[in-house]
Amino acid sequence: MKSLRVLCCRIRGLFKRNDELDAELESHLQFQVEDNVRAGMSPEEAGRQARIKLGGVEQTRQAVRERSTLPFVESLAQDIRIATRTMVCNPAFTAVVVLTLAIGIGTSTTVFSWINATLLQPLAGVADPSRLVVVESVAANHELVPNSYPDFQDFRDHLHLFDMAVSHPAFFSVGNQDHADRVWGELVSGNFFAVLGVHAAVGRVFLPTEYGDKPGAFPVVVISNRYWHSHFNGDPSIIGRTLRINQHQLTIVGVAPVRFHGSMPVTAYDLWIPYMQQPVLNGVQEWMLRNRQNRNMLGIARLKPGVTIDQATAELAALATRMAVANADVSEGMSATMLPVWKSPHGPQAMLVAPLRILMAVSLLVLLIACANVANLLLARAVGREREFIARLALGATRSRLARQILTEALVLALASGIISILLTIWMSRALGFLLPRGQSALALNFDWNARVLLFTLALCILTALAASIAPALHIRTLNLSAKLNEGSRTGTAGTRLQSLRSILVIAEIALALTAVIGAAVSARGFQTTRQIKPGFDPSHVLLSHFYLNTSGYTLDQRKEFCRRLADKLQTTPGVTDTAYSDGVPLGLETSWWEELNIEGYTPSPGENMKIFRNVISPEYLGLLHIPLVKGRDFTEHDDDKADGVMIVNQEFVRRYLPGRNPIGRRVHGWGYWFTVIGVAADSKYHSLGESPLPYTYFAFRQLYRADMNLAFYTRSRQSPDALINTVLQKVHELDPNVTAVNSIPMEEYIAASLYPQKIAATLLGCMGTLALLLAAVGIYSLMAYSVVQRTREIGIRMALGATPGYVVTTIVREALILCAAGLPAGTLLTMALGHALAALPSAGSYLNVGPKLLGMSAANPLIYLSAAIFLAVVTTLAAVIPARRAARIEPATALRAE
Amino acid sequence: MGDKKDVWQGTLALMVLKTLEAMGPLHGYGIARRIEQTSGDLLALNYGTLYPALLKLEQEGAIASEWGLSENNRKAKFYRLTRAGKKQLQKEADSWEQTTAILARFLAPAEEA
Repeated sequence: MKSLRVLCCRIRGLFKRNDELDAELESHLQFQVEDNVRAGMSPEEAGRQARIKLGGVEQTRQAVRERSTLPFVESLAQDIRIATRTMVCNPAFTAVVVLTLAIGIGTSTTVFSWINATLLQPLAGVADPSRLVVVESVAANHELVPNSYPDFQDFRDHLHLFDMAVSHPAFFSVGNQDHADRVWGELVSGNFFAVLGVHAAVGRVFLPTEYGDKPGAFPVVVISNRYWHSHFNGDPSIIGRTLRINQHQLTIVGVAPVRFHGSMPVTAYDLWIPYMQQPVLNGVQEWMLRNRQNRNMLGIARLKPGVTIDQATAELAALATRMAVANADVSEGMSATMLPVWKSPHGPQAMLVAPLRILMAVSLLVLLIACANVANLLLARAVGREREFIARLALGATRSRLARQILTEALVLALASGIISILLTIWMSRALGFLLPRGQSALALNFDWNARVLLFTLALCILTALAASIAPALHIRTLNLSAKLNEGSRTGTAGTRLQSLRSILVIAEIALALTAVIGAAVSARGFQTTRQIKPGFDPSHVLLSHFYLNTSGYTLDQRKEFCRRLADKLQTTPGVTDTAYSDGVPLGLETSWWEELNIEGYTPSPGENMKIFRNVISPEYLGLLHIPLVKGRDFTEHDDDKADGVMIVNQEFVRRYLPGRNPIGRRVHGWGYWFTVIGVAADSKYHSLGESPLPYTYFAFRQLYRADMNLAFYTRSRQSPDALINTVLQKVHELDPNVTAVNSIPMEEYIAASLYPQKIAATLLGCMGTLALLLAAVGIYSLMAYSVVQRTREIGIRMALGATPGYVVTTIVREALILCAAGLPAGTLLTMALGHALAALPSAGSYLNVGPKLLGMSAANPLIYLSAAIFLAVVTTLAAVIPARRAARIEPATALRAE
Repeated sequence: MGDKKDVWQGTLALMVLKTLEAMGPLHGYGIARRIEQTSGDLLALNYGTLYPALLKLEQEGAIASEWGLSENNRKAKFYRLTRAGKKQLQKEADSWEQTTAILARFLAPAEEA
């Protein structure tokens, strides 16, 4: 309490000029003099004695001032004033330092803002996001899979440590038949908004009476703020009006708040509809809502106050394990778990985790190089200011005071570049939107300026300033008072100690640059390698069209009929060679589906995952994609619902489940039916190019196609697939003018998305590598240039004594190369250590999660190391040649006179 | 200063407070004179000791100051004890007495030995 009062007085004292003290001391002195005179002294003697007794006025003033203000703040303010003044006086120096640091801090901050937007605050507009977790079922092989609605009901009704909601992303056709919009939304459990803690901006969210599990009972919808503004002009009177969604009328009950974009990270949805409307809206059979194998619900839960994620996970896993036993027919060996939202395997952020982590590491490398450059520049300036420092030391400043001033100056510079880098970041952070694959739903990237990013930038500035001022501060320690003050002229060469300090900085820079360059090269090569992987099918000249027939009110039979007629129509179009259709598309970004299969003659080991990925295809599919059939026959038009069930498996399926046996004719059980294997197709890539061969099955479209499946239509033509887009649209229109939801894209473009994580890693790491290289080159150049200036006299003497310009150039370049030679092994070791650390990073979860291994980071390719080293040596030589040539042009006479 | 004793800060604050309690509002010179006299001229106070101590007490709220005229019409800054200062004086005087009493027992010739 008392000390707080003192502090307040002192802070007030900072802004007060203390003239009173002088008057007070003066009056004190006069009292003393008067008393002395009264005691019988002469006036002169009285004054002298008084002054002797009372001591120095200046010391007293100093003592009082130290107490009446905060000396630390006062000297800091002084330092800042000096720092700003020197910054303004040396604009070139300031510009170079501030820009170098801005590049370093700016890139790091940008990457951090990306991490912040995708991983640290993946959900916006929800209450207390730190208490939200993702709930995932765990398959017997430990793979994470979405939840089924019945599982969710059990979790919801029997668990007490958290509140859980589920959602199922889907798109809807909104509006009239003749001009329907395709809008992404979520089919959600009734308690969805309550769990997320979201209140309506207008109207209401779902009421507890709408939380029920009765199919078709809740024809209501909540729309996003974005959609409200774009389609209803933000008109509040739309509450209570109906919206025509998938040909059904739903009542708009509310508008979500501006920042809320749904429950999937980084993805923006516009509609929220109770999941119980699924049978009505999408023609899904009601029994499928009760099917535990229909795992398509993404779970999100809010932990109750005081409950940790571990406790909640334990409760969840215990129940899930009991359920797996109780429902052994469909859920044997299954469990469930919880993850922080950013670790969710769903949503675009899942594939950003690994690339962003590596990117952050590399951008910090760039920052370190920038730091080394700035440290070098500050050191050079500290040498130039030696006389100033020595004068201050002589006047009584302590060395720590000088070091503090150097730190303050570095801090002012760093903060200036921090401000620039924040501006840079605001501009660059948007780039992430362009880098993300253009999926079908919109992205919700939250780049709001928040305390976390600002704090990160500030912390970087302070660390940078500290790092950059270590070397110059060390230099202060070596200053020798007596030796330098009397020295009249500049010394010929800088001290050897100083030179070695700077050399160490350059060596560190070269080592760091080597690491960055190798990192960039390795990831570029990894990208190249993956790109050269053959997908096992031929996407060229294929146009891929997605139809959304169920949202246009088609029944299952009508959809099958539509496909057949469209295929017939397109078949006769000139240029078209083949048509086919299927449920799933290989190498897409969408979820791939599987079925629990029971293979005759194969006994799974306990807990073995028999959920095998599948596609449902038309007879022409394999032929169109040029997937060779290695054995047996293809599907035909006669394999329909009247014929016996048939299936085609891939080679890996045979290798794993039926080794050495004839797969043709073998029976497999799934969906409650028996299927006979009629053919074996060659292996291809299904989810990502980097995956290892996995068992895969194909089922006949006419036998297995179900209401909840997608519809992808393939058209192979002789010319470019782009030319076909309009033809397809026109043919669809001829068939049924009401089908408006069509999305056509050349298949090569579509599957390029599967290379996306490698692509951004390669592109961004390439940029970072270049940046690192440039900064290192500037660092080497500035060191060499400075050392040439320092040695002008020495070089002049050498040349006067007969050294040729060639000799001078060689000497200087050789010096640079010696530094380079010292830096390269250090860099190699650093890179190998980092490579190991990266390879050891766990990459868990779904197949979308790209580990560093996939990015090729663990591949220690000696050729890459070697070429990166040679490249750096060449850059070093170039950076040294420029100042060296300048040195060689020195006129000996001028140099000797130079002072 | 000759062989006169230096004053250490803790005790100086107590002396200042006691002086102000005994004499009422006083200027800096008055305080210094009074302390020197009371000590029987064993203590000598220079500016550098007195004024930082006064500032500290003022910052802590034990004393307050204002400019006024001395008895011989000289402008001077007068210090007076505040209510918080009276309390502080009471507390510190008690604790000082206790300390000295304890020390006195230690330093007194051992009786029972």
